[in-house]
Amino acid sequence: MGFMRCLRSNIHTLKFPSPFPLPTGERGRVRGFERRMKMKRWILILAALFFSIPSMAFSQDKTLVVGIMSTVLSLDPANHRDRVTETVIRNMFDGLVTRTPDGRIVSEIAESWKNPSPTVWEFKIRKGITFHNGDPLTADDVKFTFDRIITENAIDGKTAMRKGLIDPLQKVDKIDDYTIQFNLNSPWPILLAMLPHQQIIPKKYFESVGTKGFLAKPIGAGPFRFVEGRLDERIVMERYDKYYGGSPEIKPVGPPPLKRVIFEVIPETATRIAALQAGKVHIIQNVPSHMVETLKRDSNVVVKTALGTRVHMFEMNVNQAPFNDVRVRMAMNHAVNMDIIVEKILGGFAKRMAGAILPHGLYFNEALKPYKHDPALAKKLLAEAGHSKGFPLVIDTIDTYKEVCEATAQQFRAVGIEASVRIWDWGVLRPLALNGERKIVFQSWGNSTLHPYDLLNPKLMSKDRGNYSQFSNPELDDLLKKGGVETNPDKAKEIYLRAQYLIYNEAPWVFGYVPMEIEACSKNVENWVPSSDSRINLHRVSLK
Amino acid sequence: MRFVKIIERILAAIPVMLGVAVMVFAFMRLTPGDPVDLMMGEAGVVSKAEIQTIREQFKLDQPLPTQLFHYLSGLVRGDLGTSFKKKEPVGKLIFDRFPATMELALGSLLLGLAMGIPIGIWSAVKQSSALDRISMLGAFFGISMPPFWLGLILIIFFSATLGWLPVSGRITYGLAPTSITGMYMVDSLLTGRMDSFLSSLEHLLLPSVTLGLALASIIARIMRSSMLEVMRQDYVTLARAKGNREFIVVHKHALRNALIPTVTVVGIQIGVLLGGNMIVESVFGWPGIGRLAVDAIFARDYPLVQGVVIIYSLTYVMANLAVDILYTFLNPKITL
Repeated sequence: MGFMRCLRSNIHTLKFPSPFPLPTGERGRVRGFERRMKMKRWILILAALFFSIPSMAFSQDKTLVVGIMSTVLSLDPANHRDRVTETVIRNMFDGLVTRTPDGRIVSEIAESWKNPSPTVWEFKIRKGITFHNGDPLTADDVKFTFDRIITENAIDGKTAMRKGLIDPLQKVDKIDDYTIQFNLNSPWPILLAMLPHQQIIPKKYFESVGTKGFLAKPIGAGPFRFVEGRLDERIVMERYDKYYGGSPEIKPVGPPPLKRVIFEVIPETATRIAALQAGKVHIIQNVPSHMVETLKRDSNVVVKTALGTRVHMFEMNVNQAPFNDVRVRMAMNHAVNMDIIVEKILGGFAKRMAGAILPHGLYFNEALKPYKHDPALAKKLLAEAGHSKGFPLVIDTIDTYKEVCEATAQQFRAVGIEASVRIWDWGVLRPLALNGERKIVFQSWGNSTLHPYDLLNPKLMSKDRGNYSQFSNPELDDLLKKGGVETNPDKAKEIYLRAQYLIYNEAPWVFGYVPMEIEACSKNVENWVPSSDSRINLHRVSLK
Repeated sequence: MRFVKIIERILAAIPVMLGVAVMVFAFMRLTPGDPVDLMMGEAGVVSKAEIQTIREQFKLDQPLPTQLFHYLSGLVRGDLGTSFKKKEPVGKLIFDRFPATMELALGSLLLGLAMGIPIGIWSAVKQSSALDRISMLGAFFGISMPPFWLGLILIIFFSATLGWLPVSGRITYGLAPTSITGMYMVDSLLTGRMDSFLSSLEHLLLPSVTLGLALASIIARIMRSSMLEVMRQDYVTLARAKGNREFIVVHKHALRNALIPTVTVVGIQIGVLLGGNMIVESVFGWPGIGRLAVDAIFARDYPLVQGVVIIYSLTYVMANLAVDILYTFLNPKITL
């Protein structure tokens, strides 16, 4: 309003010079004056209308806006492989089980389960759950959901993108209206950890509208129902008043407090932060560590963190000299001061890893201590391995990790290694790394289940899809194969403790860190905490 | 006669498009990086069987000539294929986003022309004056400022600090008009919704200024140079000698010829603008085809990249044809 008052009182002083000589004489002066006054009147009218339109008219009716960092790929829970897409979908769809913010598996649609044999799981479905169209959720819907995922070519002639996430699931049987049985082709200890990533869809509705109709108007059993959306712009949801309440183990239980939630696609980090500070959004994800202090100075913003699940490490090609010598690999670990890198480059928003497994992961070996930063020992080991004068080294990585790699390169240079950094497009670097054509690569690997199976198997089993270090150890392969099917927790712990020692001693990696998920919200957001798997769960969130 | 020439030019574009289609097909497949690998991401366990199944679904297991044949035969039927990552027809993905790009392109173009042409004329008429020097200095900065930086500065100042304009997006939730053209400003005028019009205008303003400023700078400089050249011609001196007012001399006699180089630049810029600007679209969260294209390239989403490049080529061909047609109106001595 201050602007409008200022505009009105000063409009008569606004001048609009013309490059051309105006008509001369009295008639020219009058005509020119009339033209200018008309123009000023229109500017005043448009400005008044313009600034009276609110940019986001939501605060009165409890609408919360989340700024997400990439487009949503699909609203079909079975047919995508994207974390941001999953975050949005899981506010509309619930699964058999879910995860607490600190990573524990708890019941959701399934009220209980049992594992009568190593390859059979039985789930009891909670009664009284309805989909957004009022249809009751029964075992038929669960069977339909999973059949659609695991059956080849079940989605319009194509196989579901999420089939691989429950690969060992072979068959789903309905026992009764509220009991479902999963039959696996082999024991799979991480089934429960993988189930939060699959959400239940309504069989009757889906069969009546087909894939296209379902994507246009998705119906789930989650706390919010779909209202409208453009996947590359914004998705709007409203409270489902008949929501069963969600997991009874995560309080409070009941329909969501918020009337409406909107996920706005804002890919650029600086724009997302500006939107939060301007009050246009309430929650944003993926805040870079160097922006945390800036946001903390804003009294309207609260920064929140959760320990993440992406493991970051340098992978040394054990088939190429000099990394075919374990002494050199150990020297590399002693040369790096990872604590300083975590503190100075990552702002303290990461946790150093002692070995290969996440510090908050299952079967983490507490006895393992990180390699000590000891440049003298590093030089000694290098000399013993015949590299007293060091060696040239190019660290290959992507743009995201440039700073970390350059800081580490400097530490390598301090022990005589002529290290430099080369930045690549990941699509180009990955096949080279996988073929063993690069000496050392810095990358990360996601481990949202917190179980070593989907971290160690792809990264360190011989010739597996993420094994950029080309590490191949028959004993480790055997341990990881056994661990992947061991359902007895004590035996599994024994297996993975042994595996961790083996990896630590062989040191195919310079063990790195796991960064925190840094997110931020406006100060009037209540009852929201970030999750370690970067999921933004709005079920229990409210606005002051 | 002109109509026949236009049809000839359109038909001549077909082999160009075909060549582009084959080239982009080949380049994408020669580019390192496997789309299925990239789609699976750097997380979890994925079996070799699953990867093989997906490769078969995308026909990536077939020999390249077979893949090319399937692609070209689809193209002839108007089928641009299905996006690997988004699982939707490429044509639909591009068609859904094209109005947003068109709206931003038109907004930037109008702003660029509205600022650039008068400033160029003004600077030429008042050559060497203080205003001439200031405007050319401004044009220099306008060309030099990276759009990424300018966009963020505008957001920080007008959106975050002053709160006058929105940070991102195309329109306030709840105000989207009924879709006719897909361009919110046009649709709101057609449906008589002033609230939608103003909301879409305020969302369009900052991204248009970001792109339009650079365009205005280029146009101003070219306009000034060509005006100075034309104003020195004998026929302009004659027009003055006949007693015409300066306004008539500049606009009626000099401007039409001076516009020709400007029209050339505008034609090239239309192609650039309609191709979408990924940086500005990312900064402002503008859902156009620029962002779509770059995401597709990094994901090695072959059908989507191919589709987008074909649309870019078509846009350039049509824009250049429009420019050539405009020449003939500006100067009847020029023929197609």
